[in-house]
Amino acid sequence: MDKTINVVINGLKETISENTTISQLIVGYKEGDVDLIVEHNGRFVYPRKYEQVVLLDDDQIEFINPNFGG
Amino acid sequence: METDQLSSQEAIRYKRQIVIPAFGEKGQKQLKRASIFIAGLGGLGAVSAYYLVAAGVGRLKIVDKDHVELENLNRQILYSTRDVGRSKTESAFEKLYALNPLCRIDALKAEIRKDNALELIGDCHIIVDATDNLETRKCLNSVSVARQIPFIYGGIDGFTGMVTTFVPGDTPCLECLFPETTATTKKVGAMGPIPGMIGAIQSLEAIKICLGMNDLLKNTLLCIDGMDMGVKKLNLRKDPDCHCCGNLTNVRTHG
Repeated sequence: MDKTINVVINGLKETISENTTISQLIVGYKEGDVDLIVEHNGRFVYPRKYEQVVLLDDDQIEFINPNFGG
Repeated sequence: METDQLSSQEAIRYKRQIVIPAFGEKGQKQLKRASIFIAGLGGLGAVSAYYLVAAGVGRLKIVDKDHVELENLNRQILYSTRDVGRSKTESAFEKLYALNPLCRIDALKAEIRKDNALELIGDCHIIVDATDNLETRKCLNSVSVARQIPFIYGGIDGFTGMVTTFVPGDTPCLECLFPETTATTKKVGAMGPIPGMIGAIQSLEAIKICLGMNDLLKNTLLCIDGMDMGVKKLNLRKDPDCHCCGNLTNVRTHG
């Protein structure tokens, strides 16, 4: 069985598999917008880094949907 | 000798902002010298154009390709029912000129594209983004980075809105945030007061840039959620490997 870690996603506590990347989290949470904005522990994450950032226990993630209407 | 002295009419018209110590007569003159480009005259552009003309910006260039539709009127406060079917630029010019004939307004009915954005923006000092799609925003961002002029991004969707000021060399650019090349243009829901708030903030940012003021929304994405009145400030960072702005060094803003 996979080891798990506890993280906070958009203010809600969640349990996810260890070694999960932001890319995998986006897929898992069906955040389909390719222009999604991600904040990791209070820091903006460059989209091209989503595959490299591995989440750790107690990390905080915010998914922010971009607004493109005018 | 200064050539941009304020007339007695201007001194009265702008009195309530000239009395603000941080603005003053000096600020009014700085505003009078500014040329600002507004891309789009929808919910955001209608509001920012109105405030900038009211404040006495020297020259405003407004560009939009569309005509006024009935479904625009819940939020695009430059237009009235009788304007439905007219071009937005023509209708906007009429209202803005009536508001402040001292402001030079260049209104152009055109589509902003990659091949004409640079020419359309011309010698304007600031770009206010009031478009409704990412593709056009990327055209504006390219000019912002190439010419090193500030680009004030605003966007809305339903009860939410966001705004930030990109200053080339000093902040990330739009491409640092949204490097993907999505070309979809979908009509989103729009609660009128949301573009009202975001457009007003964009106009305030533009005025502050003209005055050379600090404390802009630089490196900060301000997100407003009208459902729960939540306000979040997201700290942004320049992507050193950004394909658009990655090679820029620090620059000063106009003002």
